Amino acid sequence: MGFTSIDDLTNQITNNGKSDGFIYQKNFPAAGTAGHWQHLINAAGSPPAATFGGTEATFTATDGTWSEGAVQLGGDVDPATKHLLAAGGSIVAAAGAPWFVYPVDLVGYVKLTTTNVTTTGTKTVTMTPISNTSAKVDRYANGEGLRMFVAAYAAMGANAPTMQITYTNSAGTASRVTTSGCVSTASAASGTILNSGNAANKYGPFLPLQGNDTGVKDIENLIWGGTAHASGSVIIALCRPIVSLPIPVPATGLFNLFDYVNTIPSFPKLPDGCNLQFLVFNTAATTSGGTFYASGQYGWGG
Amino acid sequence: MGFANVSEWASCMDAGRFHITTFRKQVASAATVANDFVDYTYFAGNPVANFYASSPLEAAHIEANKGIHLRDVGDSQYIKDFCVMTVASSATGTSNQNQRLLLADYLMYYPFVDTDAIGEQQDMVQTVTLPRYATEGGQIMCVAQSAASTVGTFTLSYTNQDGVPGRTTQVTYTKAVSGGGAIVTSNTNSVAGSLPFVGLQAGDKSVLSVESCTFSSPGGGLMAIVIVRPIMHTRATQECRRTTTGNLESYGAATHMEALIHMPINEVKRGAVLGVIGLGNAGSLASSILTGVLTTQWSI
Repeated sequence: MGFTSIDDLTNQITNNGKSDGFIYQKNFPAAGTAGHWQHLINAAGSPPAATFGGTEATFTATDGTWSEGAVQLGGDVDPATKHLLAAGGSIVAAAGAPWFVYPVDLVGYVKLTTTNVTTTGTKTVTMTPISNTSAKVDRYANGEGLRMFVAAYAAMGANAPTMQITYTNSAGTASRVTTSGCVSTASAASGTILNSGNAANKYGPFLPLQGNDTGVKDIENLIWGGTAHASGSVIIALCRPIVSLPIPVPATGLFNLFDYVNTIPSFPKLPDGCNLQFLVFNTAATTSGGTFYASGQYGWGG
Repeated sequence: MGFANVSEWASCMDAGRFHITTFRKQVASAATVANDFVDYTYFAGNPVANFYASSPLEAAHIEANKGIHLRDVGDSQYIKDFCVMTVASSATGTSNQNQRLLLADYLMYYPFVDTDAIGEQQDMVQTVTLPRYATEGGQIMCVAQSAASTVGTFTLSYTNQDGVPGRTTQVTYTKAVSGGGAIVTSNTNSVAGSLPFVGLQAGDKSVLSVESCTFSSPGGGLMAIVIVRPIMHTRATQECRRTTTGNLESYGAATHMEALIHMPINEVKRGAVLGVIGLGNAGSLASSILTGVLTTQWSI
């Protein structure tokens, strides 16, 4: 449980010490493209750059202990639940402003490389469906609330094929598909979310699910259509959006803080196992080597 | 179906009943002036530009891909939050600051009305009817589809919210504009009288359709008559930019509107085509960018 009242919140923090914070800092791995979302998972900084190990075309679950780089959030607190009390960020980059930042909980990813990127057709994914157990991978029972994006983790070659993911929704219905016609991004820099962009048939940051679907239990396959990327490596990321942060002021690194207790009393949840990562929307082209900083405070009751 | 209480509203995120989308629209390079309204759907970006390009004078629906992306769920979804920022057209540009913004559902339009056809009744062709708000109706907005050289005068004949045809709008002026996308209407013969919507006949609240348009003095251009349903207001305050000479300075602001805290819960009907109408306050909006994140939620 969270907090029963503001009195309870005050007591849990001040008397019981049930509060902590996190810091995060990443250098953009490459120039961001205007109108595109970008992930910073493989960007250098703290936590370190992920390399997306694991088996090709196979779901790799991640959580707060992910060896490739997860923000430290203080371990499990079950049966209590952690909630963001405040969070903010800043970006120091000569160009690219303004930005939107979206913290997400990365539940896992599927990496696709070589011919799984450079040829079209159906790329079947091996994945144990998300269930409803106490395992960390099941921290969103049956994948409720999870969303997907397809992102580069190396520079992409020419061509922009269409992409569509077939998935099982959180109700257990198989063969559901994301919106058809979504177009990838040609020659995108590492970190680019390929389904986003500033043109027709682009959706960002997440691929729209089918109909009334509210989550993703199983990623079944990715279908590339049209002309395949000439080269590149991608991930299908499975994540839970947490909250949106705008960063309006260019270059200076002015910190933008959101207060989730008073200003926007929404208490976004950080479940046990949360693998906190950040997505960034570049309104203009962001300079390579820009730096993103974030920090936040969370608390828990129980 | 809506929400019975705040608990139901707050549970949407945990239940996965939410959709997050971004948009980014860049005003064309043709200059606007202070107190001009602009139709951001007309401009390039994501979603793609909406040029109201279809058969002249025939009623048409606006394609879904011209609106800010929404999930196709339930009867309605509701706006959880809406955050916007505006980007200056240059390192020193300030003329896009302090914009009043209106998020609207674009329902139907009649394109390519000739604002030079004085004395001639241009009859609309009712090939389709309102796809949403079929009995409540919407407001009339006149969007330039070309540059316009002079100040014109016109009235529209329309059917009001009660289904009564033959109603007549206030005598309305069109302004000289530099390009498509500007909202041309004014209640005076100058930009000082700019209005987003055409004034209706006394007693009327909204319109279901427009039957004809008659110009009594020429406006020197083309316009689309668009029926929209206003949903919510917000604003973009300080423009985002950084100077490049002298003491380097950065400017910018975001406006975040959260349902229940900064605004009521606003409904978006299934199939809605969402677009933004902006009011330039400090000068031209040319080449400036409006960007934002919209989150919607829905009930079971």
